Amino acid sequence: MTKRLLIVDDSSIMRRTIEKNLETYDLEIIGQAANGMEALELVEKEKPDVVTLDITMPEMDGIECLEGIMKIHPTAKVMIITALSDKLTGLQALDKGARGFMYKPVSAEDLARSFDKLLKRNGE
Amino acid sequence: MESRKEEFEATCSLFINSVNNYFKHLTEIDSDVKVPYLKETEGLILKDFTGMIAISGSRKGFVYISADHDMFADLIGLFIGFNDPSEEDILDMAGEISNVVAGNVRANLGANFLISVPIVFKGMPDELDIPDDVSVYVIPIKWNGHEAFVVLGLE
Repeated sequence: MTKRLLIVDDSSIMRRTIEKNLETYDLEIIGQAANGMEALELVEKEKPDVVTLDITMPEMDGIECLEGIMKIHPTAKVMIITALSDKLTGLQALDKGARGFMYKPVSAEDLARSFDKLLKRNGE
Repeated sequence: MESRKEEFEATCSLFINSVNNYFKHLTEIDSDVKVPYLKETEGLILKDFTGMIAISGSRKGFVYISADHDMFADLIGLFIGFNDPSEEDILDMAGEISNVVAGNVRANLGANFLISVPIVFKGMPDELDIPDDVSVYVIPIKWNGHEAFVVLGLE
C-alpha cells in the first residue's frame, strides 16, 4: 500500500534530493516543510505515514517538532536526517519517538538502505 | 599557550576531515586540501557565494564555506539533476554544505558544540557581525576543478 510521506528540511536542495532519491519507492509525497512549525501544520492536516525530519531549522527545530508530531500523530514513522552527528542528539531523537536516524551527508544508497529497513519493519 | 594552539589545530583538522568526507561520500570525487594557513590581516576571504554558521556553546566563533557559482551548481547537478539552478538554489546549496560540515564535527566535539542555522550571502554583505577576538584559519580546497575556501574563526 502506498505510504504518504512528508519531507521536512530547511534546505530546498535537500528536500528535492530526498524526493528524487525516494522516487522508486511506493511513496506519495504529501508535502514539504522548511521548518518545524510548517511541518506540524502539515502533520495535523495530512496525517502522513512517514516523515523525514531535519533537526537544525529556523522557527522550530526538529527535536521540538518531533515531540509535536508524536502528540498529534503518534503512529507516524519519523526518520531523522541531520548533520548533527553526536551520539546524544541521536539518542535524544530515538527516545522521543523517532524510528530511524541518519547523519548527513546522506547518499542515495544511504537513504535506500534506511528506507528499506523502515518500510520492511512496518510490513511493506 | 601551546596546548591552546594544539587544540585549535586539532579542531581545524576535524573541519578538514568533515569537508573531505562531504565531497568523497556524496560525489565520489575527492577534494584536494591545499596548505591551510592562519589569516592575520583584516578582511574576509570570499568567493561569489557563501554559507556561514555561527558557533556557540563549548567553542565560540564561526565557520564559512565560500565558492563560485559553478561549484555549487555542479553539486546541485549531481544531487538533483538541475543544470540551471537559480541564485536561490546556489545560496541554499552553500548553506547546506556549511551546515553539514559544521554539524559533522559534533561527532568529536559533542553536543555542546552548538551551531546556528546557515547564514547565506552573495558577494560581500553590507553588514556581517564577525567577532574580532578570534583566530582565523583558512583552508583552501579544490574540488572537481573548482576552488573554494573553508574559513574557521574560533576564540
